[in-house]
Amino acid sequence: MATDTEIAELIGRVALRDRAGLAALYAAVSPKLFSVCLRILKDRADAEDALQEIFVKIWQRADRFAASGASPLGWLVAVARNQAIDLMRARKPVADSIDETWDVADAARDPETAAVLKGEGKRIDRCMEELESERASAVRSAYVEGLSYQELADRHGVPLNTVRTWLRRSLLKLRECLDR
Amino acid sequence: MTTPEQSEGDRSRDELLAGEYVLGVLSLADRERVAARIARDRAFAAIVARWQDNLASFNDDYDEVRPPPGVYSKIETRLFPHTTFAQELIATGRWWNSLLLWRGVALGSLAVLITYVALDTGWIGGRPQSPPLIAELAGEGNSISLVAAYDVADGRLRVTPVAAGAADQHSLELWLVPGGDDPAISLGVLPQTGEGTVEIPANLRPRLSEGVTLAVSLEPFGGSPTGKATGPVIAVGQTRRSN
Repeated sequence: MATDTEIAELIGRVALRDRAGLAALYAAVSPKLFSVCLRILKDRADAEDALQEIFVKIWQRADRFAASGASPLGWLVAVARNQAIDLMRARKPVADSIDETWDVADAARDPETAAVLKGEGKRIDRCMEELESERASAVRSAYVEGLSYQELADRHGVPLNTVRTWLRRSLLKLRECLDR
Repeated sequence: MTTPEQSEGDRSRDELLAGEYVLGVLSLADRERVAARIARDRAFAAIVARWQDNLASFNDDYDEVRPPPGVYSKIETRLFPHTTFAQELIATGRWWNSLLLWRGVALGSLAVLITYVALDTGWIGGRPQSPPLIAELAGEGNSISLVAAYDVADGRLRVTPVAAGAADQHSLELWLVPGGDDPAISLGVLPQTGEGTVEIPANLRPRLSEGVTLAVSLEPFGGSPTGKATGPVIAVGQTRRSN
């Protein structure tokens, strides 16, 4: 695996529309991103299609990486996970859960908040240990496999609402722990 | 006007939704709403970015799995449908030092194919008043291609990528071709690393304008000994405004 610095440099070359840079980035990170696709989509053909989409997006969005403040591999994995999860949800739809008014009125926030929030780089492991083990495992498998609430409920043998409550409480606990 | 209490409630709701989005548990319609909010609300985008950062250690669970061969050439075909670009050689990583490539260059037809690639952003960026000149140079029948981008503001010509293998024997030299009977003028030898920047001598800078022809020839290591192109011209193209 290439180092963060090397990956960041390759993303920079891609942002400059350097095709050899894209080839080198593919050689460096495609095994990681293909693994993301396989874990979430659980189908090789779908994973290959998703990997193509992911590199098309990386080519189109590489110029946004520098401003994101993210770690280079973290940014790439986020692009991959979003693509794979979107494809999965399109294949197997699940119920909506955001209420209608959420994005109607954006709370006006101090723009400086964004700078304060960015790049704190805290690790979550310690906070995961504070969660009950079954809930911690639900959080982790939701992330790694891109499971929906329904799939989590089936896997843990609990009602949908229960697993949703678990996960939301776990997220709030994690946030509280990370902010401590 | 939101009260502090409402604002606090909105914040934890945003915090939760950002976390649910990053975990991936939401429906497609909900994910699209969150993505739209990320695009227009920087503060919310930062909350999402923080969750992504916080949860990134879970990425260790993704072991590396090499994708099957052929996926990359499909990506190239999708992104660059009008050009051929040594797809197989690049995909296998052998193009840099490929003997076959160099044999192809030496024996290949001198007929050239000039392909313009529409680049949707400036090369160097941040200088909208003087878009860089670019030219894509490709030799027909062989697997070499390179892009030259000239930044008027600093007089630097950036050439990328170049197949520069066999560095011990050959150099690629870049030429300005004035046209008519005038001989080509050397702009310098391309860096042996295969890509890089050539600083254009100040006296030649006025000559680099839209529509001039650039060419690359294969020369003895270090460049042409005579100051004139001696080896085969392997690629040629004309400059144009990139946007």
